[in-house]
Amino acid sequence: MNKTTKKLLGVVAVATLAIGAFVATNAQAAATQVTLAFQSPLTGGEAGLGQDELLGVKTALYEYNQTNPKIKVNLVTGDDQATASIASGVALGFAQNSAVIGVIGSCCSGATQASFGAYKAGHLTIISPSATRADLTSPKASTNGFPFFHRVAATDAVQGPALARYSTKDVSSPKVYLIDDATPYGAGLKPLTTPTLKTLGASIVGQDTVPQHTIDYSSTASKVVASGANVVIYFGYYEDAAKLKVALDLAKYKGVYASGDGTDDLGYITDAGTADAEGTRITSQSVPFELTAPAAVQKDFTAATGLKSAAGHAYVTQAYNATNAYLQCIKGGATTRPAIQSCIASGTFTDVAGNKFNFTRYGDIAQGAPVGAYLVKNGDIIPVGNA
Amino acid sequence: MARFNLRDKGAEIWEGWNRPKRVAFAVFAIAVATVLPYANKFTLTSFLQTPITSFQAVLVYPVGMFILMALGLNIVVGKSGLLDLGYVAFFAIGAYTEAVIGSHTHLNTWEIMPIGMGFSMLAGVLLGLPALRLRGDYLAIITLGFGEIVRILAINTPSIGGPNGVANIPNPPNFFGIQFDLLHQDHFFWIVIVLILLVVWMVRRLTVRRPGRAWEAIRQDEDVAILMGVPILRYKIWSFSIGAAVGGAAGVIFASQQLFIAPQSFDYNVSVLILSCVVFGGIGNIWGVILGASILSYLPERIRFISNAREFVFGVVLVLTMNLRSDGLLPRKKREHLSESEKQALKETRAALKAEKKAARTGA
Amino acid sequence: MNFSVLISQFFPLLINGLALGFIYVLVSVGYTMVYGVLRLINFANSEIFMLGTFATYLVSTRIFKFDQNSHPAHGGKLFLIIICCLVASMLTSGVVAMFVELIAYRRLRTKGASRLGSLISAIGTSIALSEGVRILTHSIPVRAPRVLNKFNVFEIHGVGLRIDQLLTILAGLIFFFAVDRFVNKTRLGAAIRAVSMSEENSRLMGINLNRVITLTFLIGGLVTGAAAFMYDTTYEQTAYYAGFNIGIAAFTAAVLGGIGNLRGAFYGGMALGLAEQFFSAAFGAQWKEIIVFLVLVLILLLRPNGLFGEAVQQTRV
Repeated sequence: MNKTTKKLLGVVAVATLAIGAFVATNAQAAATQVTLAFQSPLTGGEAGLGQDELLGVKTALYEYNQTNPKIKVNLVTGDDQATASIASGVALGFAQNSAVIGVIGSCCSGATQASFGAYKAGHLTIISPSATRADLTSPKASTNGFPFFHRVAATDAVQGPALARYSTKDVSSPKVYLIDDATPYGAGLKPLTTPTLKTLGASIVGQDTVPQHTIDYSSTASKVVASGANVVIYFGYYEDAAKLKVALDLAKYKGVYASGDGTDDLGYITDAGTADAEGTRITSQSVPFELTAPAAVQKDFTAATGLKSAAGHAYVTQAYNATNAYLQCIKGGATTRPAIQSCIASGTFTDVAGNKFNFTRYGDIAQGAPVGAYLVKNGDIIPVGNA
Repeated sequence: MARFNLRDKGAEIWEGWNRPKRVAFAVFAIAVATVLPYANKFTLTSFLQTPITSFQAVLVYPVGMFILMALGLNIVVGKSGLLDLGYVAFFAIGAYTEAVIGSHTHLNTWEIMPIGMGFSMLAGVLLGLPALRLRGDYLAIITLGFGEIVRILAINTPSIGGPNGVANIPNPPNFFGIQFDLLHQDHFFWIVIVLILLVVWMVRRLTVRRPGRAWEAIRQDEDVAILMGVPILRYKIWSFSIGAAVGGAAGVIFASQQLFIAPQSFDYNVSVLILSCVVFGGIGNIWGVILGASILSYLPERIRFISNAREFVFGVVLVLTMNLRSDGLLPRKKREHLSESEKQALKETRAALKAEKKAARTGA
Repeated sequence: MNFSVLISQFFPLLINGLALGFIYVLVSVGYTMVYGVLRLINFANSEIFMLGTFATYLVSTRIFKFDQNSHPAHGGKLFLIIICCLVASMLTSGVVAMFVELIAYRRLRTKGASRLGSLISAIGTSIALSEGVRILTHSIPVRAPRVLNKFNVFEIHGVGLRIDQLLTILAGLIFFFAVDRFVNKTRLGAAIRAVSMSEENSRLMGINLNRVITLTFLIGGLVTGAAAFMYDTTYEQTAYYAGFNIGIAAFTAAVLGGIGNLRGAFYGGMALGLAEQFFSAAFGAQWKEIIVFLVLVLILLLRPNGLFGEAVQQTRV
């Protein structure tokens, strides 16, 4: 601040004499009031995910404020549209907003990566509910977010093998066809399944990349049928997963259809139709809030968001856990950025189900976040254990 | 000209000034632009502050970058009348040049700048050679396709990051003690101002010299330009590649400021937005283009508090403005000050040319 | 690259390509009609299409109460639903097209503004319409329920022609020839052709310019709406961004065939639909656009007025 002020005064003196009164004072955040920031897409094509996570954040804050705490916690939301060039501007805005002491977000790996520079420079801690790309916490990657980045979801390095195992489960001599959607998420997850598929003895009979928002999947379906595959794994988001499933059914494909956490959304069933969606295998790091949260927390969820149940909203649990980690630190008296950073890095936190967790040096959950296996049955996504 | 016209009024005042007055005004304008990054801290101008996003970062991208690109596109669309719907391609080529070369070699941003501009110009020539032989709307679809192709190629080429893009792009090195990093967005803005001034200077020089006149002739009537002996393909390619170089330069700075780029930042919407800046402000007039780009890039950030509806409002603003001021906010000076007899002569020339062409066609 | 799939899956690819091609044909007619009379690319045509897809969705879900669990309809009820949806989509698109003409083009045209001015106001309309729908739908794509049971009409060696594909192809042909006849054989069609040849002369001949231009937008919109209905029936999903891809493809098709020329739109749409299917099967869907683009450049270099187009200055519509 001081340096900027000096430079600013110099420039002002040289250039213009008086444009207006210069206010050098920058309101320091009062210790009785701190701000958490939530960064995620709230408009645009990925808005659904950001809006879902916001529900978890709101629930945690609602519970905190019900206890009449000494330190009030405010929330600011920043819409990054899951786009790198927008995310970097939003992140810098938060980094320069001295009231903000911690960030929850972003939903998606690309936008998170684009924000790293700002958060690193601002010594601002960030906990993502659902940025699952492996390199964000990989000690070897030069692109990791050490030491300010943390996440409460399992990485794709865990999900990839789990998806490979679950999709080929109970399939004799699996012939697998892999299709990704050319997004950082889909294209990143695909290669993480292949080593496991090979060790499981599955043969990969074809691979394809169909860009997100493609209209016509029938030529891809034709290729799948021609290849004789009996397992199709789609790496992408639910809207396109639904379109591909419909096209496969129309092409008379009879085998297994599996997908990752991008498809873990009731919107998938709405879009594909109950009949076509039936039997789809889904792996997800998202832990269903409506199944894991105690009844009291579920009640708070309804009070905070006005929604009856969290069913169909993804990553509510993770967003709730991430927010709670901050709130536990704030309760412990950490109200500055450095204090929050060391508290998050070294503290032990309680998740919604009452289990303890802490972060590793590079920001993943030390206890290992689970990857759940789900099956679409009668128009619902049913958990069937861990994948 | 009974109606009040800001552009003509401004030109009138400017022409009434002597040299010292002009220099003083230019220095004053540049000085105001230089302190603009701190405008949000003055009480008087604090209404400029953008909610959520960092004001200084907004000034660099989108505001500064869009002014720069709109000026570059204005050379193509405004000066020589070629409709380019894929201008973002040149921006992307510049950005990727900086990202890939900068993170793999020891060359710094200033050294990569000419390379990035060179690649963009090369792309402009390669695209222009086939595309500029076509007329109007065919050119539009070819350039639109080209813009998409560059993005799709970037997504599908793993060696330049594929859909993940390129991370860890180095910042520019210090320049006479001026630091360039994330926390000094004001310094980036100064670079952008310097680039904008250079482009403005270049465009003003070119406009009054041979290329500018050739472009004007091409824009007003291609047939007449051919008749007058203007080598139109050569001048079209010149305008295309100079515009491309400006886009490339903007891309190089963008990449070194953002530190991370991904293909999704270079989609068709950016091309449309840049074109909107040009037309909205006043096609062909650099001051209009600068004004238009400033408003259209700043507005969505300023109205972030209505976050959900801001793009909708943006669309409505475009429609309303074009309906009320169809030539843009600051339209170009009308050059067609022809007397009646001159108009008649021009008409006859055109008719003769058409008849000649028709005769040639039926003869063949 | 995988060329064996071209042989083993030739017929499915061909049929899918034809169905997609007819959707492109009808949307390109929307572009080409407007281009013919105004010499302007109607950038809002993609949103005219998108709103048409939502009309079918709303009629089938709100009026006929179809949802994700419903079984397809049969017999008379099926016929009634199809007609209602088709008419709703066509009317919606037609009305939206007239609305677009009114707010994006008319004032600018009467003021004699530059072409680019109208281009930007059309782009603005397009942004406002798609963002408006995005806000109303909470950014979430919707499913157009399956009203029509998609059985194979006939099947030879496991290769079938599905009823929805057959309907799309037939309806595409009918609508295209209806427009073609209207433009070439009726009095109003003659007025459209006259305006496209020369605005000034046709005004001299007593043609009401505003009416003819509105009519052109209406017809373009009606046909685009028909395409929107077929899109919903074939692909069963729509969203606020649905117009974007279709719009660009149909615009490409119109240019490929020779923009401003109705028959050109037909051949261009067909060629593009088939090319997309076969290219994406052979080279992978991610390269489809690049190959289509290269083919387009090549064709325009060899035939600067498009595949079947005549000289742009000579013939319109």
